[in-house]
Amino acid sequence: MKNGISILLSRIATPTRVGPRDFIIVAVLAAIAFAVPYFAGTYQQEVGFRILQLGALAAAWNIAAGYTGLVSLGSAAFFGIGVYTMAMASNAGLPLVLCVVLAAVVAGLFALIVSPALFRLRGLYFTVGTLALAEAMRIFVVNSPWFGGQAGIFLTAKAPKAYDLYWIALLVAVIVVVGVLLLLRSRWSYRMQAVRDDEDVASQLGVRTYRTKLWAFGLSGAFIAIIGSIQALNQGIVQPNGGFGMSWTIDIVSVAIIGGMGTKVGPWVGAVFIVLLGEFLIQFPEIHLAVVGVVLVLVIRFMPNGIWGTLTLALQKKRNFS
Amino acid sequence: MNSIDPVGLANTVLGGALLGGLIALSAVGLSLVLGVMKLVNLMHGQIVVLGAYAAFYLAAFWGISPLLALPIVFVLGFAFTAPVEKFILAPVAKHGEEAGLLTTFALAIILENLFIRFFSGDSRSLDTAFSRETIAIGPINLPTIYLIGFAISLTVCLAVWMLVTRTSFGRSLRASSEDPISAAIVGIHVSRVRWGTFALNGGLASMGGVLIALCFSFTPSSGSEYLLTAFAIIVLGGLGNIMGTFVGGIALGVIQSLGAYFFGDGYRTFVGLVMLIILLAIAPNGILKRRRSL
Repeated sequence: MKNGISILLSRIATPTRVGPRDFIIVAVLAAIAFAVPYFAGTYQQEVGFRILQLGALAAAWNIAAGYTGLVSLGSAAFFGIGVYTMAMASNAGLPLVLCVVLAAVVAGLFALIVSPALFRLRGLYFTVGTLALAEAMRIFVVNSPWFGGQAGIFLTAKAPKAYDLYWIALLVAVIVVVGVLLLLRSRWSYRMQAVRDDEDVASQLGVRTYRTKLWAFGLSGAFIAIIGSIQALNQGIVQPNGGFGMSWTIDIVSVAIIGGMGTKVGPWVGAVFIVLLGEFLIQFPEIHLAVVGVVLVLVIRFMPNGIWGTLTLALQKKRNFS
Repeated sequence: MNSIDPVGLANTVLGGALLGGLIALSAVGLSLVLGVMKLVNLMHGQIVVLGAYAAFYLAAFWGISPLLALPIVFVLGFAFTAPVEKFILAPVAKHGEEAGLLTTFALAIILENLFIRFFSGDSRSLDTAFSRETIAIGPINLPTIYLIGFAISLTVCLAVWMLVTRTSFGRSLRASSEDPISAAIVGIHVSRVRWGTFALNGGLASMGGVLIALCFSFTPSSGSEYLLTAFAIIVLGGLGNIMGTFVGGIALGVIQSLGAYFFGDGYRTFVGLVMLIILLAIAPNGILKRRRSL
């Protein structure tokens, strides 16, 4: 199926190439980011945490939406799964690393369970199905007797320091980035992009589309759940409207689209943009999201490839003409 | 769980059916938009909420009863959404289906936050003289407002059905939905039909919002719930089938009320959402006879 996004993105050099240079750049940037807490204050660390969190979320979403064409508005479901898994597992006394791994596993299983229903839907219907799924999860967690209802669950573990959180977020972000880069180097990425550009043709050519979509969706969801589990540590209390809230989906989608869907760097550009915009509008919290919405409308209309996609296209054109 | 008492169950089912028919008004336009514009309108819920607020403030400032305000709300909804299509959605249509979808997503975010900013996050509700009255049919008690809302919704749905099947605008609308290029070739002004459809949906959804707000309280953030309910209804009723939407509304109302009856009130929406996902997966074109009037 030829959907809108794929038509747009096919203009960007597809399939995306990843070389050793990308890994070196990531290593250098990570080393610089690692040093931040040594010379910056708590405020800068919190801003840094937010950038790493949103960038990693959008990069994870990008695996499904940008490369495989599965535009999901159900990210909050996976995020919430991560948040709640961390809260319940760490309260049960499991070590931190195991909790994070468990969050990823639960999210992957969830993707596996919902995929038979969701993958029968294509394009716009898939998007609506995921939106319904996230709302259903939120309402279920509010009403069911096992998850502490509206009041939520307190984490009994001691809250980590700001710099610890920052380093954990950095580690997770590096895992996500390296994961995405390795994925883009693998054969999976070709299959994913084939499914995105035309599912029927891909299937005719022998791509197992269902399996490809499931891997992309599950991996994307597992990464989102990992980031969610870190958010649970950050908050100290998990609640259905915070963990499964639409606001996470809104954040993820706006970061990915403003930065540039289906690009390696876009999510990080978008995250920096959104977080700095948020800091700039900190005096006006109630219009902050409305402004994000306006930016989103403008970007979709005038820069449909996002900030990074537009920049790369412009550079390519220049190179081709000179 | 206590044993099922037949009167309570009959009350639930009938009340649910009336309520569902009433809510169907908020869903009718969504399927028209989906058919004509190939657009999943994610700001639909916020338009419904906007209608509810319009009626609320008309009542608060000028004392206009919400039922009398319905035509005014329709005009307001129409006037608000017409420029949105013309200046915001139409230009991105060339970028493909998902650009439109994501633009309405962004507009939904904007509207919801403007509601919070200007109308406060408080929960509101609409009152009329007969809000708390009930009508007794034998042992069954039904709220009067459900009956009135049901009748209004049925009337408007019939009117829309007439508009789509019996008028020249309706003919253009059906043609544009079937095949926009051929429609344009035979001289139909497709872009005008598109904004007409979107604005019609705006008016209908706002009126639907008034009816919903007469039965339940609403907040600035109710939009996503209304959107998903409306979506469940049009999928049940079959896309583009107007009277099917009405019947789909009744069906959803019954299912949700039964869900609330057996599992507790908190599960009312949950049952509808789970049904939506299952339905989308097994019968994305609806379970009623598909594609009749469009």
